[in-house]
Order: sequence, then C-alpha cells, then structure tokens
Amino acid sequence: MRRRPASATRTRRPASREPKPAISATGATPATRTPPSVSPPPAHSVHSHPAAASHPVAPEEKFSIPTGYGDDLIALMVKDPFWLYAYWEIQPATERAARSHLLPSEIPGLQSILRVYDVTGIHYPGQPAHRFFDIGLSGLATNWYIQTDAPGRSFIVEIGLLTKGGKFLLLARSNRVTAPRWGPSDVIDEAWMTTDDAYWKLFGMPPGIGGSSPSAWGRLIAQQLSSAGGSSVGFLGPSKPAAVRGFWCRVNTDLIIHGATEPKATVVVQGQPVVVRKDGTFSLRVALPEGTQTIAIDVTSSNGQHTRTITPIVNLTWSGNLASDPSKTKSSAPSPSRPSGPEHA
Amino acid sequence: MSDPQGYLALVLHTHLPFIRHPEHPEFLEERWLFEAITETYLPLLERFERLCNDRVPFRITMSFTPTLLAMLADPLLQARYVRHLDALIELSAKEIERTRWQPPFHRLALFYHHRFLTARQLYVDTYRRNLIHPFRQLVERGVLEPIASSATHGYLPLMETKPIAVRAQMRIGAQAFEHAFGMPPRGFWLPECGYQPGHDAFLKELGVRYFLIDAHGIVFGSPRPKYGVYAPAICPSGVAAFGRDLESSKSVWSAEEGYPGDYDYREFYRDIGFDLDYDYVRPYLNGDGARLNTGIKYYRITGQTNEKQPYDPDRALEKAAQHAGNFMFNREKQVQHVRSVMDRAPIIVSPYDSELYGHWWFEGPDWLEYLIRKAHYDQQTFRLITPGDYLEMFPTNQVLEPSMSSWGNGGYSDVWLNGSNDWIYRHLHKMADRMTEVATSHRQADALRTRALNQMARELLLAQSSDWAFILKTQSHTAYAYRRIHDHLARFNHLYESVRHGAIDETRLAELEAKDNLFPFLDYRVYAASP
Repeated sequence: MRRRPASATRTRRPASREPKPAISATGATPATRTPPSVSPPPAHSVHSHPAAASHPVAPEEKFSIPTGYGDDLIALMVKDPFWLYAYWEIQPATERAARSHLLPSEIPGLQSILRVYDVTGIHYPGQPAHRFFDIGLSGLATNWYIQTDAPGRSFIVEIGLLTKGGKFLLLARSNRVTAPRWGPSDVIDEAWMTTDDAYWKLFGMPPGIGGSSPSAWGRLIAQQLSSAGGSSVGFLGPSKPAAVRGFWCRVNTDLIIHGATEPKATVVVQGQPVVVRKDGTFSLRVALPEGTQTIAIDVTSSNGQHTRTITPIVNLTWSGNLASDPSKTKSSAPSPSRPSGPEHA
Repeated sequence: MSDPQGYLALVLHTHLPFIRHPEHPEFLEERWLFEAITETYLPLLERFERLCNDRVPFRITMSFTPTLLAMLADPLLQARYVRHLDALIELSAKEIERTRWQPPFHRLALFYHHRFLTARQLYVDTYRRNLIHPFRQLVERGVLEPIASSATHGYLPLMETKPIAVRAQMRIGAQAFEHAFGMPPRGFWLPECGYQPGHDAFLKELGVRYFLIDAHGIVFGSPRPKYGVYAPAICPSGVAAFGRDLESSKSVWSAEEGYPGDYDYREFYRDIGFDLDYDYVRPYLNGDGARLNTGIKYYRITGQTNEKQPYDPDRALEKAAQHAGNFMFNREKQVQHVRSVMDRAPIIVSPYDSELYGHWWFEGPDWLEYLIRKAHYDQQTFRLITPGDYLEMFPTNQVLEPSMSSWGNGGYSDVWLNGSNDWIYRHLHKMADRMTEVATSHRQADALRTRALNQMARELLLAQSSDWAFILKTQSHTAYAYRRIHDHLARFNHLYESVRHGAIDETRLAELEAKDNLFPFLDYRVYAASP
C-alpha cells in the first residue's frame, strides 16, 4: 500500500439518519454486494472527514520501507521442524572485496551459495560441522526457505561465493538455530518413569500403537494440529467453512408509508405511534409480507379537535419460485393491540 | 464435595491489537473493539456476575493483553464506543418498526434492541466506561485469575535472535498488567502460545509462576513427560508450563466437529448490514459506505446452503445447554480415564480466544454459564480450577524443557513466517537492534530525548504485534496490516534519526505520542544492553 493519493480520499456525506423517503422495493444497491460466503469487505477503511481538517492531524507517513540497511548479514529463523528461513543483505563492496582474493581463472562460473551446516552439539566454526549442503542462489534472491528435514538438529548458514574449483569465500555467517523435535524425547527421567503403554494410554491410544516411533507420533500430532489451533486475532475468528455454493438470489419487499401533517399532530399507524418530524413529515418503513395489509393511519391535530383516518390497503402477491425464504411465507399483520414497537422493547 | 478426581482449567485469552485512529472521525477496524465489547466482554461479565450473585462457586482464568487493556481505558475509544452503540440502538429501533408484519424477525429486532440498551446501561452507568473495573471486581470476588501477556502480542519465537526485545515485550507486558490489576501476574499468556526454549527464564525474572503452551510443546519436551499435558512441567528456569488439552479444545474450536457449527446457532455471515436495502443501512456504515457487519443478524446456521431460517434464541439456548452437558460429560469421562493412568488428580487445560465466545459463537457465553452451573451442581468428578491454584496444590512436578511450538496452524511458526509476511522480519529485527543501540548509548537523556526514545520503543512494540503478520497471511484487511507495519517502521526510523542527530521535532513527536499513546509508564532503558 502506497501513500494514498489525495484524490482517493472519500468524504462522508452529511449523515441523514432518516430512511430515504423514496424507495423502490427491488432497487439495485449502489454498493458492491458481497455474497455472504466471501471474506469480509476489503480494508478500504481509511477515509477522512472534512471536519477532521480542524484537528491537528499528523501527515501520513511518507512511504519508506527501506530496501536495505547497509549491513552484511544473514539471519536464520525456524519455520517448523523441517524448514528454516534465511534472509540476508550483502553490500556489493563486500562481495567485490571477496572477489579480489581470487585468481582471474577462478572468476568464471563463480556462484553465490548458501552453505547449510549441521552443527548439532558443536561449536562451529571452532569445530567442524557434522555435514553441510549447498544451495545455489540466483542473483536477486535476498531470502530463502531451506528444507533441512532434520527435526531436533542445530544449524548455521553461511552465504558466500563458490568457485568452480570448490573454493568457498565467506561473506556472512548466520546465528545458530535448533529445529524443534518432532516426536517424543528418548530421554527418560528415572524419577518420572513411565511405561510406553501407560504413556500411550494417557493419550487415549491403544497400547503398542507404535512404541515411540516418530512417524506414528508425527501422524498423530499432524492430525491433531490440523484440526485444532487457535488463531492470531481471535476476533477475526476461525476460517469460515466453505458453504455449498451455487447460483442464488434474494428478493425482499419493503413498504414505505410517508406523509405530512401539521408539526405537532399525532400520527398512529395500526395503533402504533409514529414520530412526526419538526417539519410535519413522517415516514415508516415496513417489511411487506405476501397477502393483504389493511393499514389504518389515524392523524390527530395537536389540539385534539381534528381527526382523520386514512387506510391504504396493500395487496402483495408473489409469483415465481420463492424457495424457502421465510419472509415470503404468508403471515398476516399483527392485530393493532399486539405489543410491538420500540416503546415496548 | 469430596476431593474430585481431576480439575478443569478454562482459560480465555482476551486480545485485540491496538487500533486507535484519532486522526479519522471513524475507522472501520476500531469497530473490532466495539463489537468485542458488545458481543463478548459485556456478555461474559454479565454471566460471571450472575454466577457470583447466585453463589455458584467457580474459577476461571483470563489473559488480558496490554494493547486491549490500553484500549479499554482510553477515553477516545470509550466515547466512540458509546457513539457506536447509540447508532445501533437507533437502527434496531427502526428494525422493530420495519419488521412489524414479520413476527419471527420482529421478535429478533426487539431482542437486539433490548441487548443494545442493556449494553449501554451496563457500559455507561454500571461500569463507568472502563471494563477493567468489573474484571478487577471479579478478581476480588475470587472467581477470576487474570494473567498477563506480552506488550503488543509479539510472536516471540521469531524474535529468537533479539533476546532483549523478547525480554522487553514480557517486561512491559507485566508492567501493563500490574497497572491494570494492581498486582504482579501469577501467570502469563505467550502470544499464539509461541514458546522458544529459554524464554521462560525471562518470565522467571518477572516472578511469573506459569505460562500456557500447546500440547506438543509438552509432549515433545525432554525428558519425556510422564503425565503428558495432564500435569504442568517445570522448565529449567523453574517456571511451570501447562499444556493445552486438544480433545476439549477441538469440541469448541473445530469448524466441522465443534459445537459452534450447530444448525440452531446464530449464523454469523448473515447480517442486515449486507442483507437490507443500501439506502436504509447507509447511515450506519462507515464513511466509505462499504457494507459491513452491524451485529444485527436474523438467521440461524440452518444448514450448509445459503437458504437460512430465522434465528430462534430459545431453541439456541436449549442447544447451548445440551452442548454444555455434553462437554461436561466428556470431561468427566476424560478425567476418569486419565486418573486411572496417573497417580494423582490430573488437570485439563482448555484455552480459547475469548472473542470466540459471543462474537463468533453467539451462544458461547451462555454455553459457558451453563457449563459452570452444571459442573457445580450436576457432577462430582472434576472441579474448575486455575493453573495457579493447581500449582499451589501440587507444587512438585517433573522438570523438563518444553519443545518450541505454537498453537497456530501447523503447530510452529508457519502462520507468521511464510511468503505473505516473511519480509517484515528483517525490518523488525533491525528496529530491535537500533532500539538497543540508542538505548545503550543514551542511558542518561534529557527530557525531550527521553520522550523520543520512549516513543521509539512504542513504535517498535506496535510493529511487532503478531496480528499484522497473521492478517497478511489471511488475505483480509491486508492493506490495513501493511499500513500499520509501514507506519510504525517509518515513525520509528524518523525518531531514530532524530535522536541520533540530536534534532528532535517536538511537534511531530507530540503528534506521535498522541496517536500511539499506550504504555505511558514505559521506560526505554529496558532495551539497553547490559553493561
């Protein structure tokens, strides 16, 4: 994400908290409709407000993720029992200096490599590593995932230049990491001894499921881990199970009753009072079910001397496949005496 | 009640990243806090208090991250929450009118309106806008054991090479806890249960007695744990590690097998913010007008298709009670089985994200209340406990070194280290180095430099939140996560150069202090290298 251009700034329009008076029952919405099984809306969350200009607002941060820090280093991290991750930064001058130690004949075919050392239990480079393997790098790489397939082992990685003749010029050496064990430890504490069978039983396994074979453990744990697991932001929740998708649509009908009278008049729709605004207008939005609705609207003047009743009768009939949407099932309007409305909440 | 055969420790990890944007009048991601308050924190408080008032004895453990504590105590966010709630009260009132000819929805509109009014009354009148107070009260009433977490929920195994930064996350986390709860923490929640051998020594320095770890961290520990996860392990440092029980976790967590997927429960993904006419809901959307979840949801899960039936709260409550009974029964069987193998009473540790309860699993808080009631009245096999209490009861435990692990998908660091987010670590590590560099070279600093150095530490900590790496991985809200890493990095580097060159722009510094205003007690010297 770059710095947001000013033209992309959207302003919030003055918020009217009243429903729009004119409405069509099936009007297309101006906003992109997100089907319910799609992940939450994209994070176009940044927006400014005309009023915000009056607050002391720090300028947006100038885009500045450094491409490098001028270091010569390689860092090694553990991803899981089988994989490591290395990132590095080597200055061209450092590489040039290394090359200057080479004979002209050694330059052709010179290759940048990662050399991955198994240093389990060893003080490398004071002592020689158990083994190493090389990974050839392309010129632009600045990081690499390294498959070691060696849980429980310790590693150090060096980045450097390898000549055709096998001479290795070190550019940088990483920190040391140890990949986690994958399976139960073979070390048993005598004071806390247990039998293999008792140990397995603890986990609800039948005795002798495989002794302490790492592969049996691997399967067991992999199975457990794939189905369990928390999430980083609990609020963002577990991943949504995929819904059975297919073509879908919904159609709903709302009825808007709106009108005007003198500002202090009382308006009652089906026995429920409706708010009359200061300018005397009123509106009511109701989800309209199939069937006939008789909507008695009683308007009484502020002094109580004038009353008028207007009764629109609305008949909604559906045709077409309405599937099982419950809002289309027949339901008659509740009788006016039925408690409903905010005053009863 | 005679001595039970075993113990159950319910642990709720309560966390949100620090999201506070005074520079914008409203901000989409600030709603995470608001929704969590309405849907999780208030319902949990209400139920725990009801249990107290009914004199149902219970013990529960909750971790609170310092970022969440800072937001709960922040006046700007408090005011914005009330504004958010007022809008919902208004919208739900309109819904009562709109649904008057649709009894199943009308009933739900009344239900939500009532919930929002109750939430407002609780939040404003009863709790005076600061939810830390009622949680403290639950501590005083003896039902809640609060535990700490690291400062900004940094994922610590991937800071392995920067031990000073790990230590600072923990130390500042413990300080924030003490500020909120008035006592040092007994327990500690490692973010994402991310454990790296050796990090327990930093907890020891803080006087922490125990932390939580995923099952394989214990099971793969060395020497081999005699009791598996059913007893704590004592790390070489002397701090205890409690392993997560997978069986009980799965029954709540799992999307397929877990309770929350029951067809009678409320469907999260159908919300009137998406379902209703755009112009009608527009006043309740954010400035950019994108549709969003309002929290008013009328349907139950119903089945696997998009055809949904109206939600029936009574039926859902009935199901929550059944599921609580089922969970209790399974724990009884589990305790009996494990007890038959062990020579002492086992502990089953079931940690969950708090926000799962109420926000995702709408009926979760009810399920929890039913479980607590049933566990007290309907069985004698196990008793609810906190890890801290269990340690007091069983102080002698096996010493072993747990294995590096996390509770993220795959069990290790894959979620926070992969092609979508690996690029952040070279910056985070460099920031940690630079912080230590200037903290070490400025052990004494004048007032202005001290402020700049403290603010640097805040920017570093905020950049380290595991949330950003997680969000980059999940592919939603990624632009926001990217922006946060970027902004904290840019602010940090700006301050770093200012401090080094002795040219601090005080106006700019004040702006940053006002924006990223958490941890007022912070002292940057926590980053200084030992002399």
